[in-house]
Amino acid sequence: MIMGSNMAECHPVAFRWPLKAKTDHGAVLMHVDPRFTRTSALCDIHAAIRAGTDIVFLGAIINHVINSKRWNTVPFFKEYVVNYTNAATLVNPDFKDTEDLNGVFSGLSEDGKAYSNASWSYQRNPAPASAIVEARTFTDLLLQKVPGRPKTDPSLKDPHTVFQIIRKHYKRYTPEMVEKVCGCSKEMFLKVANTLLDNSGKDRTSNITYAVGWTQHTVGVQIIRAAGMLQALLGNIGRPGGGVLALRGHATIQGSTDIATLYHSLPGYLNMPDARKAHESLKDFILTEAVPLSTSYWGNYPKFAVSYFKAQFGDAATKENNYGYDYHPKITGDHSHMPMFVDMSAGKIKGFLIMGQNPAVGGQNARFQRKALAKLDWMVVRDYYETETAAFWRNSPEIKSGELKTADIKTEVFFLPAAAVAEMEGSFTNTQRLLQQHEKAVDPPDEARSDIWFTYHLGKRLKKLYANSTKDRDWAVKNLFWDYEPRPSEIQNFRIKDEPSAYKVLKEINGYTWEDKKPLPSFANLKEDGTTVCGAWIYTGVIPEEGKNFAARRKADEWISPEWGFAWPANRHIMYNRASADLQGKPWSEKKKLVYWDPDAESKDPTGKTVRGKWVAPSGESVDFAATKPPTARGKDNGIGFDWLSGNDPFIMRADGKAWLFAPAGLVDGPLPTHYEPYESPVANLLYKQQSNPVVKVWKVEGNAYHKVADPEYPIVISTYRLTEHHLSGVMSRWLPWLAELMPELFCELSPELAAEKNIKNAEYMTIKTARGEVQARALVTKRMRPFVINGKTVHEIGMPWHWGWQGRAQGDVVNNLSALVGDPNVSIHEGKVFTCNVRAGKRGGAA
Amino acid sequence: MAKGMFVDTSICTGCKACQVACKEWNELPGEPAHFKKKSGVAYPVAVNFTGNSYDNTGALSATDWRHVRFIEQFNESRTEERWFFASDSCKHCTDAGCMNACPTKAIVRTDMGNVVIQDDVCIGCKYCIPSCPYGVISLSEKTGTVHKCTLCNDRIHNGLGTACAKACPTGSISFGEVSELKAKANARLDQLKKLGFTKANIYGYDEAGGLNVFYLFLDSPTVYGQPEKVVVPQKRLPLSSVATIVTAVAIGLAALISFRERGMKKEVEKKANAKSK
Amino acid sequence: MMNFETHVPHWEWYYIAMYFYIGGVSAGAYSVAALAELFGGQKQREVARIGFTIAFWVVLATPVLLIADLGRPERFWHLFIYSKDGVPYINWQSPLSVGSWALLVFGGFSLVSYLDVLVSEGRLKSEPLAKILKLIPRKVYAIVGAAVGFFVAGYTGVILNITARPLWAASDPILGSLFIASGASTGAAAIALVMVRRHIASGAAFERLQYFDRVAMIFELGLIVLMIIVAGRYAAPLLFTGYGFLFWVGTVLLGILAPLQLHRSGRIPGVTVADPVMVSAVLVLAGGALLRICLVQAGQ
Ligand SMILES: Nc1nc2c(c(=O)[nH]1)N[C@H]1C(S)=C(S)[C@@H](COP(=O)(O)OP(=O)(O)OC[C@H]3O[C@@H](n4cnc5c(=O)[nH]c(N)nc54)[C@H](O)[C@@H]3O)O[C@H]1N2
Ligand SMILES: Nc1nc2c(c(=O)[nH]1)N[C@H]1C(S)=C(S)[C@@H](COP(=O)(O)OP(=O)(O)OC[C@H]3O[C@@H](n4cnc5c(=O)[nH]c(N)nc54)[C@H](O)[C@@H]3O)O[C@H]1N2
Ligand code: SF4
Ligand code: SF4
Ligand code: SF4
Ligand code: SF4
Ligand code: SF4
Ligand SMILES: [Mo]
Repeated sequence: MIMGSNMAECHPVAFRWPLKAKTDHGAVLMHVDPRFTRTSALCDIHAAIRAGTDIVFLGAIINHVINSKRWNTVPFFKEYVVNYTNAATLVNPDFKDTEDLNGVFSGLSEDGKAYSNASWSYQRNPAPASAIVEARTFTDLLLQKVPGRPKTDPSLKDPHTVFQIIRKHYKRYTPEMVEKVCGCSKEMFLKVANTLLDNSGKDRTSNITYAVGWTQHTVGVQIIRAAGMLQALLGNIGRPGGGVLALRGHATIQGSTDIATLYHSLPGYLNMPDARKAHESLKDFILTEAVPLSTSYWGNYPKFAVSYFKAQFGDAATKENNYGYDYHPKITGDHSHMPMFVDMSAGKIKGFLIMGQNPAVGGQNARFQRKALAKLDWMVVRDYYETETAAFWRNSPEIKSGELKTADIKTEVFFLPAAAVAEMEGSFTNTQRLLQQHEKAVDPPDEARSDIWFTYHLGKRLKKLYANSTKDRDWAVKNLFWDYEPRPSEIQNFRIKDEPSAYKVLKEINGYTWEDKKPLPSFANLKEDGTTVCGAWIYTGVIPEEGKNFAARRKADEWISPEWGFAWPANRHIMYNRASADLQGKPWSEKKKLVYWDPDAESKDPTGKTVRGKWVAPSGESVDFAATKPPTARGKDNGIGFDWLSGNDPFIMRADGKAWLFAPAGLVDGPLPTHYEPYESPVANLLYKQQSNPVVKVWKVEGNAYHKVADPEYPIVISTYRLTEHHLSGVMSRWLPWLAELMPELFCELSPELAAEKNIKNAEYMTIKTARGEVQARALVTKRMRPFVINGKTVHEIGMPWHWGWQGRAQGDVVNNLSALVGDPNVSIHEGKVFTCNVRAGKRGGAA
Repeated sequence: MAKGMFVDTSICTGCKACQVACKEWNELPGEPAHFKKKSGVAYPVAVNFTGNSYDNTGALSATDWRHVRFIEQFNESRTEERWFFASDSCKHCTDAGCMNACPTKAIVRTDMGNVVIQDDVCIGCKYCIPSCPYGVISLSEKTGTVHKCTLCNDRIHNGLGTACAKACPTGSISFGEVSELKAKANARLDQLKKLGFTKANIYGYDEAGGLNVFYLFLDSPTVYGQPEKVVVPQKRLPLSSVATIVTAVAIGLAALISFRERGMKKEVEKKANAKSK
Repeated sequence: MMNFETHVPHWEWYYIAMYFYIGGVSAGAYSVAALAELFGGQKQREVARIGFTIAFWVVLATPVLLIADLGRPERFWHLFIYSKDGVPYINWQSPLSVGSWALLVFGGFSLVSYLDVLVSEGRLKSEPLAKILKLIPRKVYAIVGAAVGFFVAGYTGVILNITARPLWAASDPILGSLFIASGASTGAAAIALVMVRRHIASGAAFERLQYFDRVAMIFELGLIVLMIIVAGRYAAPLLFTGYGFLFWVGTVLLGILAPLQLHRSGRIPGVTVADPVMVSAVLVLAGGALLRICLVQAGQ
């Protein structure tokens, strides 16, 4: 099931595999999308739903599944769910569900703007007596604070079990409700639900694939959670052919998340030191962040964290200065993209260094963002072409309209030519967490340089600049460990001799022993005493030994291809793959065999003594579990990490080793996915009194006006998305005549019904308006777009690809002039996938 | 041992990678007709939006040797929804109208069965253009000669497949030995028939003496913009010639009657008298 | 809306259509002359001489038009010699190839005939040339020349028929015949016109010529009807477009019916015609031009 993604158009190469599954293995492909797209055209089933109603659809599938005959009679489902998920876990009796509180959960603050998750917690047995008397190490700290095991009721009868809570929570998510809210017929819904159900079990697995059709919502994270729950309930996680696959966006956007371009996380998904949290010292940091996770593999958090700080500051990182933690920057608030621009427009940001982004087109409420750029003192843009962002000061719509005058803009803009991918060495991490190395083919032309070159030499100059500073705040720059000088072999064939060593960077990310600089084959080798450095623990093993780069491997086979590149963590292609075997460690079925327990195999345990029995995977897949922990082993109540986990706890990154149907922690907007209407919606929430996500991120600032619920001025739903022919803000495609001529101009897809209503003619100009702005586009009238009947009344939805700007060989208005700054509370992603607007025939400003 | 391509439209996603790969390999520019100068912009910008589904390049041309068609078919109630994609190019006909028509031997068939235009021989008489039953060839104003898909002549004669097939992410276009491609096509056709695609058919086995580039369609060829029955024009040449000769003879006879001494007499005299009256 | 129409060659009417036309006139004039020569003997010498003269001067213009429409005019010789190996080349499947050769041969014939005219009229005094011309009896090259002439008049029609353009393909196999008939009528009209200007448009010889012209025009009319019938729905562009109008009014009404009428009664009801003979000749010639223009353009 592809839902929330237009896979064929946006992931054309990856899409060959679903197609292969269809042509070679008779797989059924389903597409759930408001529009009929090139993906729908290749799928067996297309179910159209109104944008922003996915949780109703998925919730209804959950409801349908757990009440279905198949799910309740086929033993597989119960065995998987009771043992591998937290369905049986008992939740705090204080917990109140949306059913009790009319659409919100217990713990919502007075002003209704934030949740405290205290009441979402598990019921636990008393904490065990700790073996540690006085803590010498960070690990000891964790060992002293091991919580009691969660209480469970394997019969799932107790009203406080997660399962009963879920049953109650999704009761009102019925096929009838789907028809009323999503505008998708009951029959079509049941077809989708039953196809998933019938294709899940011992012998068959189903996969759910999504992308930003799900993320770009004020409930984005919860939509994905719902899919995760569904897959867990269907026993589709940790098994071949199952899972919830996120199709990542930009090339190596996965890598940039892993190596943390995100403001709130450190490489390898450690948390960023935060001035607002109890993070004063490294000890506090570890107590705050690691204790709640210590009974999962995160029990190794201290080793990962210390090795990271050691990697940053090298010799200067000592036990005394907490390995440099004391000087490491801390965040003071939400510094994600949208609030950053809000701060910028408030004049709080002086300088802006922009590499690989074009917010003048890609940023929500792009007019707001372009005007914010004018508040900067300086801006550096590194790119291939003069992007709309780089050109905002001379020919942006605001200049043309006179809102901004070039003469008055104080921002000093520097444009630096960037190198393209073939002109630099490095690695991509793709959607499957697979690292693949790419070589440098040629030098970049003239003054163009790679980003790594720019960053490295900028760093060197800054270090020089601060060399003599005695200020504490400059310590980090002064002591930053910064040695990526190229090895002769890396530069001998090239003109540019001061290109830093991509290998050295990857080696540091992989980790090595500080003493003798030996690469580490596994994150199991990491230490918390400063003897190892590691930039990002999840990548450890990509360079198992000096000179060997697994990311460069190119040996393919017919299945897992373990020797093609390197899949983090530890070359595991299917995470939590312990779940591909049953309680006894036997494969659920021959057909779906992946990892299983071989009782006779001999091997050594971590302490080195020979033991009988181990987990094996003939495919060459690496086992995502303690290699020699028997399936029946009971975990140590006062241990951490793998010691605490039992042999039937496949979900080793969860503190209870189970897949979370109910999220006691980690989410700020509730433990269970709940349908809230998009922040801007033409209809009232038909499920609850609560209209939209109660803790949604909004910025009520000038130039960012929002529409009312069911705003009569803006009755039409608009969704924005991509085309195969262009790439994002278009800088990489609109300048190429070959691509420009494929999709020459901005257009708006709308149904013949709406076109007739508004008297809009195909291929002629139309205007789309919101409180933020107005754009003109060519009309593409097509039955691929459809009106939805929501609770008896017709709701029209239009769609616009957003690739255009005023530069390049294919030009058009910036669609993001329409969108608003509004965000998901968990990850502050915008709601570009659904807001409201109005349309009329003719060009912007009324001309025909 | 003819080489060719099998285009399985049932797994085409309409991504147009083939169109772009063709231009890239063959160093073809953007179609000049698609770009215009815009006031205040230093360079020409694309102006070829058509509103015809996702097809903006419209047809094959001297710079577009490949063209992906988009066919939207929805019934009133949207209970039947179809969006077909079909990537089109020169079919490298076994009986090639273009080649038959060329007066200069500019169009030749190589040892691999592909039909290529020799740019240095072509005089730009344009006669091949209307002679191709598939509307493949076009004149380039720039070169004064005509151009079309060469089946990547340079690539295939150097052990490579065609650029479009290479770029196709789904394997919708496959390059190879025509006989092997046919086996592959037949197998796929059977599979689809079993799945209930009763109208599925293969286009190109019989047309124009057999097309080295042939297609699998899910519906009749006309739905995909291909002529149902093609007659290679030159097949009609004998009849056309005979008819013409007959007329020539007939006119000759007319002349005989007109100019021969006897027979005309009365007529002429009548006129003469009429005049003298 | 899908189009699986074949591509159009974008032939310019003022080159290709005109080339088809004057080729037809020249060939027509020659054939009429040759046939007059053949069957008419001495009585028709005048007609023949004028015909040959017209044929020669007009044919000179044809290659100019043909070459002017080429994308690479400087390579026109590739029509006769394969540029890769320098060996003469003819593509028997291609009316254009064969036609080009025919035109070349026809050029030769019309030159010879013209020289013969000059010599026999004593306008060119050259004993050796006269001798050479004596070698072959007029009748012989009249026959062959007439044949080649008809070919030249007809192949341009076949060129159009042997394509995949709907109108042209659908009207197959009529256009060759139609263009021959038209060539004959316009050829005869051209001769008549000259005779009128030379004030010798009277007497039996002239009447015979006029008679032939009528027959040719009736032929032409019949072929047009036949064409519309075989072309069926593909004849649409000839019925409803602007070219359709030109075709029916220009070619059929003014170019054929009106002259026939003038031939019959020397007048057209309602209009007074000063010099019916000359007017009809001019109309026939104009009609012939429009015929080519309409068929070439409506087909594109
Ligand atoms: N050719 C090309 N490929 C790309 C990109 C590109 O610009 N061009 N961009 C890359 C990047 S950065 C990313 S993030 C990915 C994005 O990949 P995708 O997420 O697949 O792309 P989108 O087109 O943004 O949105 C996908 C679909 O979401 C649907 N949709 C909108 N609202 C909803 C909703 O509420 N529910 C559901 N179920 N569907 C909805 C839209 O109709 C659209 O068809 O693509 C990557 N790949
Ligand atoms: N309304 C709406 N808005 C959206 C979306 C949507 O679906 N709807 N999608 C959102 C999503 S998912 C994304 S990812 C963003 C993307 O938004 P942006 O990232 O702003 O858009 P891009 O065009 O990808 O910008 C990348 C720039 O980096 C340049 N570049 C490429 N490679 C390199 C390199 O190696 N070095 C340097 N220095 N530059 C390089 C490119 O030329 C381009 O100018 O847009 C978001 N905006
Ligand atoms: S652009 Fe790159 S990542 Fe995206 S589909 Fe094509 S090959 Fe894959
Ligand atoms: S498709 Fe047209 S251009 Fe190609 S070989 Fe056949 S006739 Fe010639
Ligand atoms: S245009 Fe060139 S290739 Fe076509 S027929 Fe004429 S000479 Fe031959
Ligand atoms: S075979 Fe070569 S020339 Fe022909 S369409 Fe494909 S890429 Fe273009
Ligand atoms: S590349 Fe392949 S899938 Fe894409 S449009 Fe061409 S034929 Fe279709
Ligand atoms: Mo993205």
